[in-house]
Amino acid sequence: MTLLRRQGYWEGEFTAMASPCAVLAEVDTAAEARRLLDIARGEAQRIEARFSRYRQDNIVHRINTSAGQPVEVDDETALLLDYADRCHALSEGRFDITSGVLRRVWRFDGSDRLPEPAAIAALLPLIGWDKVLWQRPRLTLPAGMEIDFGGIGKEYAVDRSALLLQAETRSSFLINYGGDLFASGARHNGRGWQVGLDDPSVTGQGSVGGLEIKRGGVATSGDARRFLLRSGIRYGHILDPRTGWPVPDAPRSVTVVAATCLEAGMLSTFAMLMGKQAETFLAGQHVQHHVIR
Amino acid sequence: MQLNAGTSIRGALALATCTLLGTSLQDSRADASADDWRVDGGVLYYSEQDRVTVVEPVFFLRKKTGEDRYFNARLIFDTMSGASANGATATNTAQTFTSPSGTTTYTTPAGETPLYKFSDERVALALEWERPFGRERQMVYGINASVESDYMSVGLSTMLLQNFNDKLTTLTTGLSANYDSVSPDGGVPVPMQLLSTVVAPPPADEEEGEDEGGESKSTLDAIIGVTQVLTRRALTQFNYSIGFSSGYLNDPYKVISVVDGSTGATVDYRFESRPDSRLRQSLYWKYVYHLPRDVVHFAYRYYWDDWGITAHTADLHYRFELFGRSYLQPHLRYSAQTAADFYHHSLVNTAPVPAHASADYRLGDLATTTYGLKLGLPVGKSSEFSLRVESMKQTGDSYPADAIGVQRNFDLFPTINATIAQITYTGRF
Repeated sequence: MTLLRRQGYWEGEFTAMASPCAVLAEVDTAAEARRLLDIARGEAQRIEARFSRYRQDNIVHRINTSAGQPVEVDDETALLLDYADRCHALSEGRFDITSGVLRRVWRFDGSDRLPEPAAIAALLPLIGWDKVLWQRPRLTLPAGMEIDFGGIGKEYAVDRSALLLQAETRSSFLINYGGDLFASGARHNGRGWQVGLDDPSVTGQGSVGGLEIKRGGVATSGDARRFLLRSGIRYGHILDPRTGWPVPDAPRSVTVVAATCLEAGMLSTFAMLMGKQAETFLAGQHVQHHVIR
Repeated sequence: MQLNAGTSIRGALALATCTLLGTSLQDSRADASADDWRVDGGVLYYSEQDRVTVVEPVFFLRKKTGEDRYFNARLIFDTMSGASANGATATNTAQTFTSPSGTTTYTTPAGETPLYKFSDERVALALEWERPFGRERQMVYGINASVESDYMSVGLSTMLLQNFNDKLTTLTTGLSANYDSVSPDGGVPVPMQLLSTVVAPPPADEEEGEDEGGESKSTLDAIIGVTQVLTRRALTQFNYSIGFSSGYLNDPYKVISVVDGSTGATVDYRFESRPDSRLRQSLYWKYVYHLPRDVVHFAYRYYWDDWGITAHTADLHYRFELFGRSYLQPHLRYSAQTAADFYHHSLVNTAPVPAHASADYRLGDLATTTYGLKLGLPVGKSSEFSLRVESMKQTGDSYPADAIGVQRNFDLFPTINATIAQITYTGRF
């Protein structure tokens, strides 16, 4: 964890959820900046610990190893499941927290190694939120299926951290967890925070422009380094859970600005899942957005 | 809900997100949805019994133009008609008055308080811009203008609001400047001139008729105040304001009766004369308390100026919350002021002529009592219709101890009863 004095604000950094995380705060002292950073980091690490699918001591692990038996979940998990349920409905099944099993066959390493269609077809019976029985507070997941909050978790951590920081300070701050952001309000100078738009061809290495955000969430979907190339056809890493195959004609990257990071994240994910209709979909949402093809 | 391209799911998603985060939709507004509008439309009716009637349509628009940025516009169109006391008192003979230029006259029957008839229209426009100014500060800039047939006013204002203690404390400082000019119908009177000496200009001068002359005044006002949130239920506000006016402060339509020192009969009139500057100060205290359902507002104001007027005003509102966001709000207001040093109901013809004198009842010892009731009814989700009715009574010393002779037979300070009614529609989009 590091804390740096910048021009007019403090920037603290840490790593969580396998991503570089930063909190920029317009506070006067290093002590105050560190206090806010500790709160944000604590929340990010708490959410990672509770909802990461890579751990064996949390609710996600219990659900994924329940072998068809009902699991009673706590309130926070129930809220996330409700949210996932809503997003599944709103996206007509395109957004699905049970689609993670496709990772067993799809590895987007830049090679030409496409999975066998039969292997994909064999996984489809294990995918589909509609196969899950969710009766709050009990979740019954058929044996062999898995859930994964990876598509929500980072954005949720950003918004949750923002709520905690807003309860602690009136100062303007910007939370950035691996490119998912939330800004709390105008800075001293009346301006917003400058946010660079990631260049998808060199993710994390360069930007293709920027935007100024005073209050609201920003999220980007798409990582152009994760793809497969076979016979001149590019297979992006956005998978359609209904087919098990990458969404055809998905943009390379979609960035959305919305009231919260979660909304921005869901809208950018939904847009990716819409493939060549991403722009039309976003135009209908009346949100600020950037699409890179 | 279909996710066909172009279908908006943003609202449904926002609702789901607020549920997940345990926040309300109002808390989570992004820059993108800053298109809040408020529009008020209404009519104010003010009528003094047997005197002035004012019908005033008011339009108000407030547009959110960005985070903490607003644009406000207020447009008022007044139609005033009726009669206003000219300052002279009732006496036992008919009274005839001449305009300063000597071109027009009007007559009041014996025993009646002289009134001059008038009708005018006024258009007033005020524009305001609110914007953040650094950290925890909000700046408000305004311009205003008002035009009547004989009057014109323009002004500039600025106000700075600074928040402290997590917005529990707000310091307000404001400054405004106004320039007014008056060109009275019938010319500008010479202060203290006897009406009997006013001579009509020769008809040949008609080309210069336009040059009836005009006068002007400048006003500078400053305010400093603190608003403090005391508890979850209580809020208090304390303001000090000071204002200075200089220039032409007379009312060109007001005269003062000159009476015979022994009989009290009116023998002539003088145009009034006020000092050419006025320094006004006031202290204001307000306290708002939220009961579990209802809200009580109490305010007290102490006013004093260098004309010798001091005034106390107490104001009480009680808002009863009724079913479904409707409310009923009784209002009680009482104000009492002492007279200006140069206020006289009349002048005695044998006494030395004072430098300043006015019989304008608004500068006299005056008590004003107002009772009112306001009913608010919700319209749709966030709009409101309201109806306000008030009754106002202004009383003074009708039979003063220093009245002479026949003056004792007449009400030298008739009570004014006024009715105020207002309907307003407030729409929010």
